[in-house]
Amino acid sequence: MFNYFIVEQIIRAGRAAQLLFLLVVVAAVLLALYLSKNGKQFSIRPIEGLEATREGIARCAEMGRPVLVTPGISNLTAVQSAQTVAGLTILGEVATKSFGIGVPCLTNASDQQIILASEGIIRNSLLTVGKPELYAPGKYVRWFGADQYSYAVGCTGQILEEKPGLIVFAGYFLSDVVVTGEAGTRVDAVKVGGTLGSINFLAMMCDYLMIGEELFAASVAITEDKASTATLAGQDWSKLIVLGLGILGVILYALGNQSIWFWLGV
Amino acid sequence: MSATLTFIRINLAKLLLLIGGISALLTWYFTTPEFGTVFNTFNTWNIDITLFTLFTGLIVICMRYFRGVREKTPGIWMFELYGLILIFAWIIMGTIYGMYSDTYQTIFLSTKITLHIAILGQLVFFMISGAYRTFRLKSLRTVAFALSAMVIIFMNIPFVQNGWAGANAFSYWLLNNPQTGGARAVVITGGIGAVVLGMRILLGLEKGPSRVTEA
Repeated sequence: MFNYFIVEQIIRAGRAAQLLFLLVVVAAVLLALYLSKNGKQFSIRPIEGLEATREGIARCAEMGRPVLVTPGISNLTAVQSAQTVAGLTILGEVATKSFGIGVPCLTNASDQQIILASEGIIRNSLLTVGKPELYAPGKYVRWFGADQYSYAVGCTGQILEEKPGLIVFAGYFLSDVVVTGEAGTRVDAVKVGGTLGSINFLAMMCDYLMIGEELFAASVAITEDKASTATLAGQDWSKLIVLGLGILGVILYALGNQSIWFWLGV
Repeated sequence: MSATLTFIRINLAKLLLLIGGISALLTWYFTTPEFGTVFNTFNTWNIDITLFTLFTGLIVICMRYFRGVREKTPGIWMFELYGLILIFAWIIMGTIYGMYSDTYQTIFLSTKITLHIAILGQLVFFMISGAYRTFRLKSLRTVAFALSAMVIIFMNIPFVQNGWAGANAFSYWLLNNPQTGGARAVVITGGIGAVVLGMRILLGLEKGPSRVTEA
């Protein structure tokens, strides 16, 4: 018989299910990558927010206005850092696309780590499109203080001053996005947003919303890279497993069996 | 930069990321103290690097502000001067009195909290104008959205709560069931998305932030 006592000695209490699920996600992604390398074609459904981003960059080119990407108020070491990384990923892709057609891509930061990362991303985007001479430190990346509302005020000022045609809110946001989002509306910018923070505020302020994992899938949708698209297939299989576990758990719970409830460490 | 140096920079960053990430994961899941030691070492490095970036950021900001004030950049030089004065005032006072002294906290908060209050005051007006655009009945989704919001607003009116005992329970049912279900779906799918994004970065498929080390 399986000895649960030994498992509890090795794995921290209540985290066995988490670990198992993490391994399932990793296995699903690796399997999808393997299938992709062996010729299986995965397609990605159009993400409304990303379609709008593409169109928004073209709109900026027509209007002669810049693009603004804001990676939010978190840093690279906090719990919310995954969202910031997703925001920086989107910045990289949007910057490359926009600089490629001559549209300046602006960004801002509320944290010193993000300033350095953003400067590097902008510099490399300009290198990628063959325009390194356009780069200057502080020209495209602005810093408005580490505080949430200082950032909101600074970002609002940047929006009113630069009048971007497209604003992408991708990262961790709280109520600060109400101020910056409304400023975007005042300058007639198309607003696209995605966060796991105050998504309700973003939903209220943005024209297009990236919900849940769409924020993390954004760069894949922009580049349409085959291998990256395959990882999204693995992600979808993992979601199906979670969905199945949820439905099974509800049914079992209703029948008086709490095994899945306890197993998941709820 | 030579190709070899670029290669080392890219792969050294990836290697550190891989070891740091795996040690953090193993510390989270397993009880073995050796993993904890590796993770703590990486965490100390992380704190050192963060402090260094803070120092670098301060120098960059001061240089930019000095330049702005010297060149009298139209419209913003006076704010940059104000920012410079505040930065040095806080550094000097923090060094003399200590960060948690009453003098430092009073001066720091009196400049910061006033800004907070000014912005918080604006939020209400911006929420109303934002809600006006969002709650326009353009589709079935916005109708459901607007109806739910209206029901919750209506049920929170004291007159309604006094008149109908179930008003509070009904609005809380709406918040705790349909709303929480949706919110959890967003958080769970977001969590899975974050794990897969992390994998893409470690596998070198994600080009955006990785480009930082390539130049």
